[in-house]
Amino acid sequence: MKTKVSQILSLGALALSANFGTAQAADATVKVGVLHSLSGTMAISETSLRDILLFTFDEINAQGGVLGKKIEPVIVDGASNWPLFAEKAKQLLEQDKVAVTFGCWTSVSRKSVLPVYEKNNGLLFYPVQYEGEEESQNVAYTAEAVNQQATPAVDYYLAEGKKKFYLLGSDYVYPQTTNLVLLEYLLSKGVKLENIGGGFRKDDSGKIISAGKYTPFGHTDYQQIVAEIKQFAASGNACVISTLNGDTNVPFFKEYAASGLTAETCPVVSFSISEDEFRGLPAKQLVGQLGCWTYFQSINTPANKKFVAGFQAWLKKTSVPGVVKEGRVTCSPMVLSYVGVYLWKAAVEKAGSFEIDKVRAAYKSGLSFDGPAGKVTTQKNMHVTKNVFIGETKADGQFKIVKSFENVYGEPWLKGKF
Amino acid sequence: MTPTTYRRLELGALTSTAILLVAIIPWLHANGTISNFTIGVWGKYLCYALLAISVDLLWGYTGLLSLGQALFFTLGGYMHGMYLMRMIGDLGQYKKPLPDFLVFLGWERLPAFWEPFASFPFALSMVFLLPGIIAYIFGFLAFRSRIKGVYFSILTQALTYAASIMFFRNNLLLGGNNGFTDFKFILGYNLAAPATSRALFIATAMAVLLAYVFCRWLSQTKFGLVQQAIRDGENRVLFSGYATAHFKLFVFVVAALIAAVGGALYTPQVGIINPGEMQADKSLEAVVWVAVGGRGTLLGPIIGAITINALKSWATRAYPDLWLILLGGLFIIVVLFLPGGIVSLPTRLRSAWQIFRAAPPPSPASSPKPPLT
Amino acid sequence: MMNNLTRWVRLALRLTLLHGSIALAAETPRQLIVRATLAADAATQRAALAELMGQADTAIAPLLEAWRTDALFIFTTPEGIKIPVLISGEKTAAGTATASRLTDGLPLTDAQGNPLVLTVADLAPVEHNASLRRAMKAVLDLADLAATEPEKRIKAISTIGLTQDVEKLPAFRARLKIETDGAVNRALREAIALAQLKNPLPAAQLAALNELQALRSLASTDFLKRALKEFEEAKDPTLAAAARAALAAVDEHRASVDFFGTLFRGLSLGSILLVAALGLAITFGLMRVINMAHGEMIAVGAYTTYLVQAMFGSGLTIPCFGFSLPIFGLNLTGPAYQAYFIAALPCSFLAAALVGIALERSVIRFLYRRPLESLLATWGVSLVMQQGLRLMFGANNVQVASPTYLSGNWLINDVILGWNRVFVIGFAIVIVFGMGLVLTKTSLGLLIRASMQNPTMAACMGVRTPRVNMLTFGLGSGLAGLAGAFLSQIGNVGPSLGQGYIIDSFMVVVVGGVGSIGGTILSAFGIGGIDQVLQQYLPYVAPGLNWVPGIGGFLQNLAQDAAVFGKILVLAGIILFLQWKPAGLFPTRSRSLED
Repeated sequence: MKTKVSQILSLGALALSANFGTAQAADATVKVGVLHSLSGTMAISETSLRDILLFTFDEINAQGGVLGKKIEPVIVDGASNWPLFAEKAKQLLEQDKVAVTFGCWTSVSRKSVLPVYEKNNGLLFYPVQYEGEEESQNVAYTAEAVNQQATPAVDYYLAEGKKKFYLLGSDYVYPQTTNLVLLEYLLSKGVKLENIGGGFRKDDSGKIISAGKYTPFGHTDYQQIVAEIKQFAASGNACVISTLNGDTNVPFFKEYAASGLTAETCPVVSFSISEDEFRGLPAKQLVGQLGCWTYFQSINTPANKKFVAGFQAWLKKTSVPGVVKEGRVTCSPMVLSYVGVYLWKAAVEKAGSFEIDKVRAAYKSGLSFDGPAGKVTTQKNMHVTKNVFIGETKADGQFKIVKSFENVYGEPWLKGKF
Repeated sequence: MTPTTYRRLELGALTSTAILLVAIIPWLHANGTISNFTIGVWGKYLCYALLAISVDLLWGYTGLLSLGQALFFTLGGYMHGMYLMRMIGDLGQYKKPLPDFLVFLGWERLPAFWEPFASFPFALSMVFLLPGIIAYIFGFLAFRSRIKGVYFSILTQALTYAASIMFFRNNLLLGGNNGFTDFKFILGYNLAAPATSRALFIATAMAVLLAYVFCRWLSQTKFGLVQQAIRDGENRVLFSGYATAHFKLFVFVVAALIAAVGGALYTPQVGIINPGEMQADKSLEAVVWVAVGGRGTLLGPIIGAITINALKSWATRAYPDLWLILLGGLFIIVVLFLPGGIVSLPTRLRSAWQIFRAAPPPSPASSPKPPLT
Repeated sequence: MMNNLTRWVRLALRLTLLHGSIALAAETPRQLIVRATLAADAATQRAALAELMGQADTAIAPLLEAWRTDALFIFTTPEGIKIPVLISGEKTAAGTATASRLTDGLPLTDAQGNPLVLTVADLAPVEHNASLRRAMKAVLDLADLAATEPEKRIKAISTIGLTQDVEKLPAFRARLKIETDGAVNRALREAIALAQLKNPLPAAQLAALNELQALRSLASTDFLKRALKEFEEAKDPTLAAAARAALAAVDEHRASVDFFGTLFRGLSLGSILLVAALGLAITFGLMRVINMAHGEMIAVGAYTTYLVQAMFGSGLTIPCFGFSLPIFGLNLTGPAYQAYFIAALPCSFLAAALVGIALERSVIRFLYRRPLESLLATWGVSLVMQQGLRLMFGANNVQVASPTYLSGNWLINDVILGWNRVFVIGFAIVIVFGMGLVLTKTSLGLLIRASMQNPTMAACMGVRTPRVNMLTFGLGSGLAGLAGAFLSQIGNVGPSLGQGYIIDSFMVVVVGGVGSIGGTILSAFGIGGIDQVLQQYLPYVAPGLNWVPGIGGFLQNLAQDAAVFGKILVLAGIILFLQWKPAGLFPTRSRSLED
């Protein structure tokens, strides 16, 4: 009798539990989580990553899957809502029991799910440039660390003879952190403090705790800041390092162009504009501005051509709802997602098992994968070594590669290093 | 139904819900029938229910549509979050006794205002004090100059907006847009342990029940009657000799406190608190829960918060592309066709059924009059 | 065919060899450019370009221009010989074109002398990067000293001036003698003075410093600072004093530039706020409908502009809930294409007005008696519309290019006046006047005012108030659409475009006084002006905030981030302002009790 009561109650509880239909996994498949925002403000960037992941899974499945098992994606929507990310991560790990998750774009979403992955000993592949200062055993950072994006860009500028650097960013952790690292780096390269623009914040003891100019999310009025940059650049040899995020780039660059500043008088390197974001920017007004990533679609290698053609062909025939088919491009976060899946596959195959601890050990042993942007090698610290490229924007929304750095080691702990 | 039978019915329902939430569900969780995930999610829904009650107390009972309740919710969350951050100790990324973001910003010792948060009683009192004081100051100013209606809504929204911009900043030393995360311990218990989630769930359930009982009691006192009179015709109440501003101020502060408790319970269960929670659309969302559930009732907001969030949990997985349309559409439909919300559905169906049976048309008094705005 | 090619290549080879032998003697500018295009590394290319400096060959400018704009290609013969060519003439539909050789400018021909038709996609473009473009620019700039347009001359002079190259002095002086344009004259004097700072003679340096002081040249700031340091280290009191005086004059000038710049920026931000809020001033101010979907009406206007642009261009296909909706393009170019923005203005108005009317008919008309619930329902509408736009146009922003007549600027005494900004100010004035005329001089305006002031009375007098309501809401939404068309020129066009303006718009209307158009205008310019003043001057007052006990350091740092702190202060200011005037600047007075 007692068991019956508890059964009825548990049935009731199950009905309560908002757990609507999870497909039972067949033995011949392995479940893989995809955790990106498909709605809300971040959907603009993250839907592309969902698309590339599905493409990659199809590509791997066509080759026979991983350890003979087909990949079965479990796609959830973080809806640009950080607590929801944590909830979805729990769902993926505790209910769907996924073998690995590919996901997150913003740092705050990663920070939000991190405790969940550590608690459940899960594995998350994170593909988007970030500020570093983190090294979890449960996250594989295929992302660009600051020294794989920001410092190479500074090196490029210094080689071009730039003497004045204006730091500009959105007011959140990634830009603040990157600019603080850049400040140390610039000073170590002999750039004088008065030649670093954007302002400084000091603590009570006079130590600089923050450098650069910051604007709130969704800021639309860049008149004053552009006027300031114009004065900053009046004496020549100046450049701008921009960590503005997403939407704010458009009003900034429109204002920048309208004020008569160009890539020749004062170039801007942006760390958050890839080919994908470029689709919504006034390309003609941006010609010659710089981007720095570990992949560009314009990389002229057979591997990349094959990758781009494969993705375009997949787009044509896919029937996944919500996939935009026209005018699609490939960009660095997409390729790092793609590379992440293959690195995971390599790790699983080396470990001969889907067990997280074994996969992690295999991953840390230094696996390599020849991706669209060249060789990518995993490191002990869960980051990857990869090539870094600096590109100039062109009117067709692509980047022309002007400089490349080979095999740059991914170093998350940069503060105080220079 | 006579008032006595109604009251008896309500008492019975309340007791059984209480037993279900405080005893049966935790018991099922302990023996493994309900998963950790489920209990965590339901704990979150109940926190949202507290936020919804706070919105309803203002909007449904006093006629003040506040678009700033998410601010008080988040402030409560932050105050508790500061305690939880201190409890991480030196287990953070940097293995230093300071919260990670402070280490990163170059702090070698704790800023003064962080010091006392190592004490749970202090943090708990701040959960009430800070939102309470802010609500008091803002309410005092707003009600003194007789700001009401839509002006009040827009002002509360401005307040929330300004606060969210502030909290996004690193230099506020509250973690910037990442906020607080990676909590480890609460009162010495490991937050990752199932027993801790269970205890938190029970605490949240009890908080919801208490808030319900309190508001129920309040609405039946003389105070509550004046409160509802203010909603229906403030000037008349004023002319009857009541200082309406005082009444409104009291309700505003109480509502802020209820929201703050919700936030404080929310932080450990969800594992993150950040300024995204206080953005303007979160407050609006809470208003939606109330409207969908049925405002001017106490059950409505709870039902609304749980229904919509469960719907969201499900739809963001099943129809990620369409769920916003679903939510928006539901909302329009409820406002247009079901002003009483879900709780008015039985009455409506009953009267519809009576019309259908071609019985003599029901007397208009049988359907509750929707409260005026 | 193959035979022909081979024969032709042999010819080409012979030609190249011939030219190669001449090159040993003295290279012509054309040959230098050929050498630069074929060089493997950037350093050699730069060196070749450097040799072009000062050469007065008319072929240089168009060739370098072609290089910069990707019109130079390398044609590789089947034998692997590389010939740099310039694509001459229009590409055909099949992507083929004829080309001319860089070596002599003659068309590429086969052995028979017929022009060779090349497929452009098969050619390798001649690459260039920033350093090369700068080298080209240096060559062109010097050539530009004699350009006919004064703007070009100024640009060239200031660019060279910043290099402080003493060797360019003779060229500048020669130009100064014959220059008649005032602005160019100024630029020349500035460039000469900057170069003279490098002159070892103290007298020349002193003259240069005095000149810069008289010119109040902003560009000289860094040079003056550097010079001042040198003079102080060299213990030269006269020169140091002169440098200090020059710097002071420049700083003073900068203060006035900042002041007038702030004034202009405040005016332009105010106009934007006004344009965005004007529609709301009607729907919310006059009709008391709290339209949270106002932002999406703005987005509708902006997307309409995008569609009109696509129609003037090459068309577009919209994936519309499973169907593909093709929009045909007119394939216009040049000024006709640029005119798209003019055509977009009425279209945006109409599109948003129609959406508004549909919204009024389907949702809002049921909610006139429940204003707070109109807030909730329209918020639902806003969610649906945002996601709808996302599904139709993609989650990404779309590109709306600024027409040329909106993308330049005037530089008046170093204050930048962007044309788009000037346009929005004019635009705001025009629509405020237009709306004023509609409301006060037309019969529709009369009906609107009557229905809004007292709907029951108006209805009794025979006014069809439902129809007037519909039209009024349409008018308000249409104005939002116009705002969207304009905002597409200064900001991004994406599904959540409207969200950025909705809170600000409500603030503007509430501060101005709900129901008062005049108040809306005043509050828009007030808020815009205050915001810009705070952004400009907060960093200057930041050190002064240190005295505040406890949070002084924090406030000081906050004030450094003027864009953030300015916004917070404006919001706090609005909250406090409404304590003082709860119904805004111009409250609408009413005798009724519950209003």
